[in-house]
Amino acid sequence: MAHICAIGGGKGGSGKTFISANLGVILATHGKKVILIDLDLGASNLHTLVAQHHPKTGLHHFLNRSVKDLSLTAEATDVRGLFLITSLRCSLEAGNLFYSQKQKIIRAIGQLPADFVLLDIGAGTTYNTLDFFLAADQGLFILTPEPTSIQNTVQFIKAIYLRKLKLILKQDAFTILAKEVANESNDGVVMSPLDIVDRVMKREPERAKYLEGELNKLTFRLILNQHRSHIDSHLGQKIEKVCNRHFYSQFKFLGNIAHNERVSDSIIAKKIFVLKYPYTATTTDLKSLANRIVATRIEQPAIREEYAYV
Amino acid sequence: MRTFEDLTYYEIFEVPINASSFEIRQAYRNALSIYGDDSTISYAFFTKEERAKILKRVEEAFSTLINDDKREQYDKILVDKNIIDSSSLTKKRPKVATPIFSAKSSGGRAVLRKIESAIKGKDLKAIVDDILSTGAVSGKDLQRLRTAVGIRIEDVFEVTRISVATLQAIENDLVEALPPTVYLRNFLKDYAELLHADPERITAGYLKNLDRISRSS
Repeated sequence: MAHICAIGGGKGGSGKTFISANLGVILATHGKKVILIDLDLGASNLHTLVAQHHPKTGLHHFLNRSVKDLSLTAEATDVRGLFLITSLRCSLEAGNLFYSQKQKIIRAIGQLPADFVLLDIGAGTTYNTLDFFLAADQGLFILTPEPTSIQNTVQFIKAIYLRKLKLILKQDAFTILAKEVANESNDGVVMSPLDIVDRVMKREPERAKYLEGELNKLTFRLILNQHRSHIDSHLGQKIEKVCNRHFYSQFKFLGNIAHNERVSDSIIAKKIFVLKYPYTATTTDLKSLANRIVATRIEQPAIREEYAYV
Repeated sequence: MRTFEDLTYYEIFEVPINASSFEIRQAYRNALSIYGDDSTISYAFFTKEERAKILKRVEEAFSTLINDDKREQYDKILVDKNIIDSSSLTKKRPKVATPIFSAKSSGGRAVLRKIESAIKGKDLKAIVDDILSTGAVSGKDLQRLRTAVGIRIEDVFEVTRISVATLQAIENDLVEALPPTVYLRNFLKDYAELLHADPERITAGYLKNLDRISRSS
């Protein structure tokens, strides 16, 4: 079964698509079968970053039922082993997906024949983004070392949290509380997820343990993109620490990705960055990130051995 | 999960119970870089009120731990509440040595030891004699000797620092990819010495074979 990684992060322009594309390329060049899915519905870019300029098929064929099997909408790219499902030709209203369509996509993703499925998720905290994120085996958050980005990340984490929390509350007969929570958030002020947990704990301490356990199962992985040398090199670790201290779930910092002017060049040239600029700190960072992602999946990192002397 | 209010002062700073005042100062500075007023992290994570509350607790922790009398009283409270063990207060921690040089650079020596022990267990004389018998030594001969020892081309690189690409060129007789003869001579000498073969004869044989290849092509 494929290992599904969602790549998200609240803010636009933080590098979600860039990292998805290049991570996909690295994994594919090391012999993995990788399917990239552009789930940034209504703002598809991923095809450009993997140099697949004129995709013929895509998610729209699956949504309009002209193909039954999602894997048939995956197109081979120039990189061996790397496939792309673009949403470029989806309807302009695809951003507002129906619930049933979303469920259909999520179910189909789970059955894709690949080693890795990377979901490039859009910015913002709409239900689509959150649900695609929660459907993955591992969720990667991309943030940049700017207060705006950190802020949006916190919002995204809280939104994911609230979404999960509501699902748990609904599933497990916390109905009265769930209603209360739902009503309160309809007033326009969304309660902090932590407040909700606190409330449940006070009211029903016997269920609190269960709730805590469920939230503890969530693991978030953080990646600090566009890291420049003058920035505190421990920023990522510090954010990880604060998250672990003040939220109920588990957070893991996976590492920095160095900032590089050439990233923009490669996008303008519509070329794949890691192939165009293989000897840059940014590429090295992306490779070690790929290593850590593979390592979380299988105990023995398959890539590391090959990197050893290259 | 324990909330921030439940953490002991030591846990806030993530220092051991018998931490020195130097460590505490350092940890305090770290904590301020996270929770302080001008930190981007606390700006993004907390409301003004939450931050004020957290900062107050951090200040409290620091002013207690940095003052010997206050710290003693605080420790006593923790012991009474059974949060910490009184024996851990007096326990001395051994100083950890910090290496000045990175441990990475000693990799070559470890690999050399590995190669030496691999050679010790094998009788290579027959192979070396066979290789030298014709007078000409090809790259494949060298490769045969290396595989007989049971080491990888990267191991040779670790010790000799001859690049893997050059080593591959040598072993595959890739004439165009080989370095100039002045360098090649030394590379071959190092290679042969590493594998306990006669460096003079190997070098001479290899160059002779090379000469033959370039003349025939």
